[in-house]
Amino acid sequence: MTSSWWSLVEFAARPLERDEREAVIGDSVEAGDSSWQALSGVLGFVLRRQLLLWKSWRPWLAAFGFAAPSTWLLMTVSLSVTCTSERLLGLNLGHWAPTGHEGIFMLLCHVFLLVAWSWTSGFAIGSLSPRTLWTSAALFLLLAQFLNHMYIVAAPVHSAVAGGFPSFFAIARLAPFLFVVPAFWGVSRGKREVRLRRGPALFLAATITILTAAAWFNNALWVLNWLLLCPAWFLVATARRSETGRATKVRQSERSSV
Amino acid sequence: MLGEFEYLLITTAARLGDNAYGAAIREGIEEIAQRKCSIGALYTTIERLEGKGLITTWMGEATAERGGRAKRMVRVTGKGTRAAKEFYEVMMRVSSGASWAVRRAERLS
Repeated sequence: MTSSWWSLVEFAARPLERDEREAVIGDSVEAGDSSWQALSGVLGFVLRRQLLLWKSWRPWLAAFGFAAPSTWLLMTVSLSVTCTSERLLGLNLGHWAPTGHEGIFMLLCHVFLLVAWSWTSGFAIGSLSPRTLWTSAALFLLLAQFLNHMYIVAAPVHSAVAGGFPSFFAIARLAPFLFVVPAFWGVSRGKREVRLRRGPALFLAATITILTAAAWFNNALWVLNWLLLCPAWFLVATARRSETGRATKVRQSERSSV
Repeated sequence: MLGEFEYLLITTAARLGDNAYGAAIREGIEEIAQRKCSIGALYTTIERLEGKGLITTWMGEATAERGGRAKRMVRVTGKGTRAAKEFYEVMMRVSSGASWAVRRAERLS
């Protein structure tokens, strides 16, 4: 096998776990498969694995139940937080503003909710189906691209203001993506199957719910923002009662669906 | 009940004993069943059988002939042995009286 083909086989095997990659490529080498056979074998395995994973409800819920709606809603909340911050700082970069009357306390409440909603969404997505994360990531990128165009590119930034402050213009471009860092943090925690225990999960969900209600009664939320509570309560529903159990169950569930 | 390929895999792994791992099982299946066995079919079935508790797997040692890569070793569990035995007995019962099974029995006697 030439080194370039070898690299291609290695690359094709990247969606597999490290041990699987070792075993599969090692088997091909031992069997004396040609480079083409090794590549098609690995690709066939990866494709078969992905298709079979979708027999389970988990990837569907992760991608279409959590990733897609959360991306949309969290982009809007990110933009709202940015707008409120700009207004309180006396700046006006001319975004489309989903909200506009909140004070500093409601801004802090929004910031906390944005981080908490993002983290719980990410955690739910990462823990539900680690092997199909690429679908959730693809949905996120597609939606982010579309909504970014709608919120930012199509809404002209006031050149008179932004022209004088190029850094503000750059910040404005990032406005809808404030949720990305906490969401990725959540995904990485969920993917590692560091599960929440019932107590902390319940505390987190209850806190988020109370703050969501507080923001709602202050007319500082959109009705669909209530949907962002779903991941937090999902984490409560699936929280572990003891120190062991669910991590194995997730893995077994993915295995038996294969 | 087991599927046909699952039975092939469990039986081949049981026959190989301590030497049951991916490449050896694949070779065994191809030799006995006289048909091609893809890596994808092999490993997705291994994973499914492990999920059902019919086999256990662990990473074995790396060898030079594998380019220094480790083997995925396979062992059939008690549950797997019972499932394979049940499959075998059902196949024997369902085959009794069938022309090909009768001819084979006659040849053997």
